[in-house]
Amino acid sequence: MAESYVKPGNQERGWNDPPQFSYGLQAQAGGSRRTPLTRRAPAPPAGAPPGQPHGAPASPAPCPGRPSAACPEQECNVSPDTVLAPLRAALDACRATVQKQVCNDIGRRLTVLEDAWAQGKLSAPVRKRMSLLVQELQQQHWDAADEIHRSLMVDHVNEVSQWMVGVKRLIAETRALPTGETDSADTETRALWKLRCPSQTGLDLQGHGWIQDQG
Amino acid sequence: MCVALQNIPPTLRTRNKSFCKAMATYLEFIQQNEECDGVRFSWNVWPSSRLEATRMVVPLACLLTPLKERLDLPPVQYEPVLCSRPTCKAVLNPLCQVDYRAKLWACNFCFQRNQFPPAYAGISEVNQPAELMPQFSTIEYIVQRGLQMPLIFLYVVDTCLEEEDLQALKESLQMSLSLLPPDALVGLITFGRMVQVHELSCEGISKSYVFRGTKDLTAKQIQDMLGLSRPSVPMQQGRPLQTPEQPVISSRFLQPVHEIDMNLTDLLGELQRDPWPVTQGKRPLRSTGVALSIAVGLLEGTFPNTGARIMLFTGGPPTQGPGMVVGDELKTPIRSWHDIEKDNARFMKKATKHYETLANRSAANGHCIDIYACALDQTGLLEMKCCANVTGGHMVMGDSFNTSLFKQTFQRVFSKGYNGEFRMAFGATLDVKTSRELKIAGAIGPCTSLNSKGPCVSENELGIGGTSQWKICSLDPSTTLAIYFEVVNQHNAPIPQGGRGAVQFVTQYQHSTTQRRIRVTTVARNWADAQTQLQHIEAAFDQEAAAVLMARLGVYRAESEEGPDVLRWLDRQLIRLCQKFGQYNKDDPNSFRLSESFSLYPQFIFHLRRSPFLQVFNNSPDESSYYRHHFARQDLTQSLIMIQPILYAYSFHGPPEPVLLDSSSILPDRILLMDTFFQIVIYLGETIAQWQKAGYQDMPEYENFKHLLQAPLDDAQEILQTRFPMPRYIHTEHGGSQARFLLSKVNPSQTHNNLYAWGQESGAPILTDDVSLQVFMDHLKKLAVSSAS
Repeated sequence: MAESYVKPGNQERGWNDPPQFSYGLQAQAGGSRRTPLTRRAPAPPAGAPPGQPHGAPASPAPCPGRPSAACPEQECNVSPDTVLAPLRAALDACRATVQKQVCNDIGRRLTVLEDAWAQGKLSAPVRKRMSLLVQELQQQHWDAADEIHRSLMVDHVNEVSQWMVGVKRLIAETRALPTGETDSADTETRALWKLRCPSQTGLDLQGHGWIQDQG
Repeated sequence: MCVALQNIPPTLRTRNKSFCKAMATYLEFIQQNEECDGVRFSWNVWPSSRLEATRMVVPLACLLTPLKERLDLPPVQYEPVLCSRPTCKAVLNPLCQVDYRAKLWACNFCFQRNQFPPAYAGISEVNQPAELMPQFSTIEYIVQRGLQMPLIFLYVVDTCLEEEDLQALKESLQMSLSLLPPDALVGLITFGRMVQVHELSCEGISKSYVFRGTKDLTAKQIQDMLGLSRPSVPMQQGRPLQTPEQPVISSRFLQPVHEIDMNLTDLLGELQRDPWPVTQGKRPLRSTGVALSIAVGLLEGTFPNTGARIMLFTGGPPTQGPGMVVGDELKTPIRSWHDIEKDNARFMKKATKHYETLANRSAANGHCIDIYACALDQTGLLEMKCCANVTGGHMVMGDSFNTSLFKQTFQRVFSKGYNGEFRMAFGATLDVKTSRELKIAGAIGPCTSLNSKGPCVSENELGIGGTSQWKICSLDPSTTLAIYFEVVNQHNAPIPQGGRGAVQFVTQYQHSTTQRRIRVTTVARNWADAQTQLQHIEAAFDQEAAAVLMARLGVYRAESEEGPDVLRWLDRQLIRLCQKFGQYNKDDPNSFRLSESFSLYPQFIFHLRRSPFLQVFNNSPDESSYYRHHFARQDLTQSLIMIQPILYAYSFHGPPEPVLLDSSSILPDRILLMDTFFQIVIYLGETIAQWQKAGYQDMPEYENFKHLLQAPLDDAQEILQTRFPMPRYIHTEHGGSQARFLLSKVNPSQTHNNLYAWGQESGAPILTDDVSLQVFMDHLKKLAVSSAS
């Protein structure tokens, strides 16, 4: 389901840094016991793993011995709207029951996502997997959507960290919708919080240089 | 299973013809036991008297993996039945005698006769509860009583980092919010020159309490300043601040991750480097000691006795306040082994004491402390190690937070097992019960004593002794303790009743789902009279377990005080073992033989002597602390890899095969893969390296060469994908500078001194004056057979 790739470690910063495995590969790895080391490895796949922009280190990175995900570069013709519209719709569905401030906060993050997308700051795998996430969300596959969110956080944290948490919250809130009512005790606590700091507005997302340069 | 041992027919117990067959049976037995119960004993037939047991040299001991992953072990949903004798309280188990008609069971430890509880009224030979069936020698109970508290994760973050490192760390922390259990509580403390405790609220407000980094505060002061203490509620044994019927599930500083994740993501994203200027030639002022002290005090005041992780991320040594390890002048380097030997490490003792106090307080509350230290220079792990060692926390040492070594190791802290549950467990107590002929001498592992002095506690201590109960604040399915025993049966007394001795391990813990669970493992072994049945005892020796158990003792001694004396102690033990179990004619070294069950043991000890766990040469004090930390908690397989690394050879002459960890294994037409646990090394032999340079792997007619180059990479990847912590990965070749990692580990059977004596050129001579295994064995034989010793 998730991407499977291995990137070389950061040899600039770490001495003999090991290669980096994608979330999908790490999650799989739970299955195998101590390596027997007597097994002959199958032939490596024809295509090299995608997405290795920076110069390879002196030591070659091991290629995954299994088929890697289909090359995302070719199938990233996802328009931002196909992702954002359903997310916004989901958010609107939440507004009736979820606290206003939380909804606004999610909305703000969706805007950050939209801007990043419009400015071409999102890589192809992120765009592709976001569209998958939205599909799962629409089909109410909450666990699958949540799993894609996790894989994106692990594999592409520098691209997605500012807004993904909004999507994560949206998954959780949407999931809670069918059962209806919110916990009343919970609401009370929140009311208390409001009393304590009545006049605060949300944080200014733009002012802190979080949106990093992807180059 | 326990019955296997009794199934060995008497004919197999004779030494000569059937010895090998018996050996095979024992190997199977040992393996089955490890898989089923997570237990490996040094001796699987026990000498029946104290005197004989001491003559066995290697103590009766076991490696116990309390939460060993068992796919086929669904937990039962009821409480264990306990022996009614107050000093015993052993759990009903398959070894107990049951009278089904009278509904009574006899405790196999104290022989007390007990009534079954009412719920067991329907019990009969054909209707047994799981805990009486032999296949449930290990069983896990889910206990319904008690509060279910959420897990707690308190991040303690150093901001005296380079921009790149801080950015990478912030991203890792943000990422971790997605990996935490959604209802977990999170908190954030940041520190540089000052320490900031961040109040978390859903309102997007960022408010924090600032503490000076130079002044140590008592728990009481910290709690007062953070407004955690309320005069009306006494803080003893702390039920948290609210009324008992409404348990606190959050405080201003610790909030559920599913409520606070958006604000905490912003808060983390906003973190700036410590703003205080650092002038040329100075280290940044880093208040690690106070920050940790506040973290411990915060949890102590709010959530005592529930599972919590304090996660310390630091990029350099503590340089001010309590717990400082080095001053801020860069011209004064941090202490080295040389300084420590010369008693020239100014801050070491005081700092160690500070962290020990914190570690013990944290352990008393059931909280663990992880240390993630990423820097090129030392960060004070030597002084801080007790925080992780005593509480079962993780210790990770990397060069930078912007490395895959750190990032992936950190991700794996939150990894899940086969069943989709987190591998971490909290707040465990391990209670050990023994038959009357056996007493408990101590434990070595990531635990602390609960000072429970029951009738089965020995006066002689090995490791952390004087107790039959230990606390393990954090553990996972691979966490392994060494438990040492003492046989107390008197010499010439008959073999104890029933012919078997038993041990029960009762581990109560908080599962990652916050359930309370109890895992009970009950094992038994045969007693044998060492004077008449020595061959039985000998055949049931588990040399792998024995090597690891002796190594843990050695490392424990090296850590506590003795230093170089440990090597002499290990040597003496090895010589005595060879004298006892070798076959030889007096003063004739050539006649010396060890039976198969002992044959590998001297080799393990040889490599152990050379290992970074006992040798500090070429390692900083921090590195030694790091290596020893991991050695004291891994299971048998991983521990053995650490003692004697695994070496595999890949060539055109056949499938990959394990080869001797010896310089003679380094051949030109081979690729070697070495796993030392901390490093994975791939080494291309001379010819292979030349072929690769010539580009043969790219030519279609040499596709098999391409495959040969790929094979060790694939195998290395399998190890790298699962190992915790992530090892370093070294790809090198004949003549490469990094080949030193391989050359320093192999047995130097060929050196510059003896190269030509070998007559032919095979293998790679090592430029060393170190003793080779051959010379070591020659000396060992000489000493073992000597009538003088």
